[in-house]
Amino acid sequence: MSVSRRDLFKLAGVGAIAAGLSSKPTFAAAEKVGKMEAMLPPPKGNRVVICGGGWAGLTVAKYLKKENPNIDVVLIEKRPNFFSCPISNPWLAGLVSLDFISHDYNQPAAKYGYRFINGLVVGIERDRKRVYTNYGYIEYNYLVLAPGIRYNYSAWFKDDKEMTNYTKINYPAAFIPGSEHLALKRKIEEFEKGDFIITVPPGAYRCPPAPYERACMIAEVFKRNKVDGRVIILDPKPDIAPKGPGFRAAYEQVYLGLVEYVPNATIKEVDPVNKVIKTTAGDFKFTDANLVPPHQAGSLVWMADLIAKDKEGKPTGWADQDPLTFQAKADPNVFLLGDVISGVPYPKSGHIANSQGKIVAKIIAGRIAGKEVKPTLPDNTCYSMVNGSPQEAIVINVTYEYDEKEKKINPKPRTINDRSKALADATYEWARAMYKDMFS
Amino acid sequence: MNRRSFIKACSTIAVASMIDPSVFSNLISAQEGMFRAYKKAILLKEDGSPLTEEDLKPHTNYIFFYPYASTPCYIINLGEEVKPVEVTLKNGKKYNWQGGVGSKKSIVAYSAICAHQWSYPTKKYSFINYYPPDKPSEVTKKAGIIQCCAHLALYDPREGARVIDGPADFPLASVVIQEEGGKFYAIGILGVDQFDKFFDNYRKELREAYGTTAKAKELVESCKVMEVSKYVGQVIYC
Repeated sequence: MSVSRRDLFKLAGVGAIAAGLSSKPTFAAAEKVGKMEAMLPPPKGNRVVICGGGWAGLTVAKYLKKENPNIDVVLIEKRPNFFSCPISNPWLAGLVSLDFISHDYNQPAAKYGYRFINGLVVGIERDRKRVYTNYGYIEYNYLVLAPGIRYNYSAWFKDDKEMTNYTKINYPAAFIPGSEHLALKRKIEEFEKGDFIITVPPGAYRCPPAPYERACMIAEVFKRNKVDGRVIILDPKPDIAPKGPGFRAAYEQVYLGLVEYVPNATIKEVDPVNKVIKTTAGDFKFTDANLVPPHQAGSLVWMADLIAKDKEGKPTGWADQDPLTFQAKADPNVFLLGDVISGVPYPKSGHIANSQGKIVAKIIAGRIAGKEVKPTLPDNTCYSMVNGSPQEAIVINVTYEYDEKEKKINPKPRTINDRSKALADATYEWARAMYKDMFS
Repeated sequence: MNRRSFIKACSTIAVASMIDPSVFSNLISAQEGMFRAYKKAILLKEDGSPLTEEDLKPHTNYIFFYPYASTPCYIINLGEEVKPVEVTLKNGKKYNWQGGVGSKKSIVAYSAICAHQWSYPTKKYSFINYYPPDKPSEVTKKAGIIQCCAHLALYDPREGARVIDGPADFPLASVVIQEEGGKFYAIGILGVDQFDKFFDNYRKELREAYGTTAKAKELVESCKVMEVSKYVGQVIYC
């Protein structure tokens, strides 16, 4: 391996800086990865390299092979196995097993005939159409970037890496699957007394209802364990959204005294050592916490220099892609989808990422066949578990319409805020069917 | 022609020969490969006697299994004439849906496997259901529809179960029902069926429910029709 872990961090940093300065994020790190050897021979036909094996990436991989089995599809994912963020809140409360939300990448790769590489992307050179991994580089005809999110701790701690690392380890955000979730589960199980704070990130973030659902599920554990404590949600927004009335009803009726919702609480300062959060709604001391910093598009989008810029030329933090085709505005051979996108009224959710994956697979397969496919619009359904005993859920469903005249995508949301057991059952059916779609 | 395809061809002819020739030829000629004949199966009441029109209360969702022992279908009396329509798929392919059957031409039947991600009624739950006119969906506010609560796919039973809204790419496959002397027979499936995906995705579940995959895939010769609420533990409306 010619790129060390240290180089990787350096590279990510260089990419981030480069994004603000130049359209060619090459520099020293790219030169270094340039010395790598190819890990796969050049593609014989068309090769699509997909970076990110989440809801979007898995769906593109499968549906590309279904559209055209002759396309050489390579899916690169850094995690060895799949851990589902959707349904992870009910899992935190012990309502479903780890098996239910864990899946292997081998099954769909074997079944649909795409190549799965459990590796790390360390560089992207769009001009040479190369993706560099810790195993060597791969050349592509089309590149799909679906890396999900990364945390922006610098919004809280600027360049203080010590503080960032301390917070990551001690108060994990648990919005990126893996160890963070396991740590959070352990923390809430071990919690004995006091205030447990959840911070809701400002701006766009992965899974908008997640913090509110998580509050219910943590309160469920506290209730079960007879903990003398509270879950406090610090939200920069003026109210809970989406499914506000449904969550509020759960806090007032199911978890009265166990959940406190604080609106208009924009974070001014986080002091994880002294366990104090200063906000525009006052200062809060915590016993333990789930500190969720602002989110941004995953590092691969920064690495590929495809982050959108605001009017002043500053990076917005999210990908710059066509709202209908998901094609990168700066590169017709790159597609950006899932949680990274911007400029569309779509939430960052698993369901819509899956839906986008099917659209993008059709578009790429069409391009390869020499046809321009008219893109359809995705849809989104999101259930939230708001009671653990008995299990009850609420739901939002959104379909989208394109206004040709205004060139605008209009959401048509529909919500059930009355929690019910039927919706709890539907929550798991939703997940089962989604997992079947991506994995079997 | 090898032995295997010869046998397959023979059985197709055998099945075809059991169906009223005019119905069969009309369907075949009109559908450009969208119709598949299966074993002709009589629809029965729970007591084993032939199902009649009067047994199907209007706007009530009944379940039966066809063409395989494990593939659920819904039969609904929509209370008024349901006219034939041309169903257009997203890929532009078209087929003529036959409309309702019975004296009022009000009875329709569809596969109950959601064309989106294959949710289907089990003994435990049914997430895909018919919503009568007086019971609109709480989420979509629509009534007179078939809706799957897993991901809110909506189908119109009056129009060949075309997709009204939501994520499904295909309509529900339609069960072709033929009436002969007051008795009803299922003779085949029209449209895009989801059977391969269904068997593929639910191998484990079907083995548990039917003992073996072979049993789950047995073609039926008769179908017992019962109210969905009698078959499944919980009918999930949303």
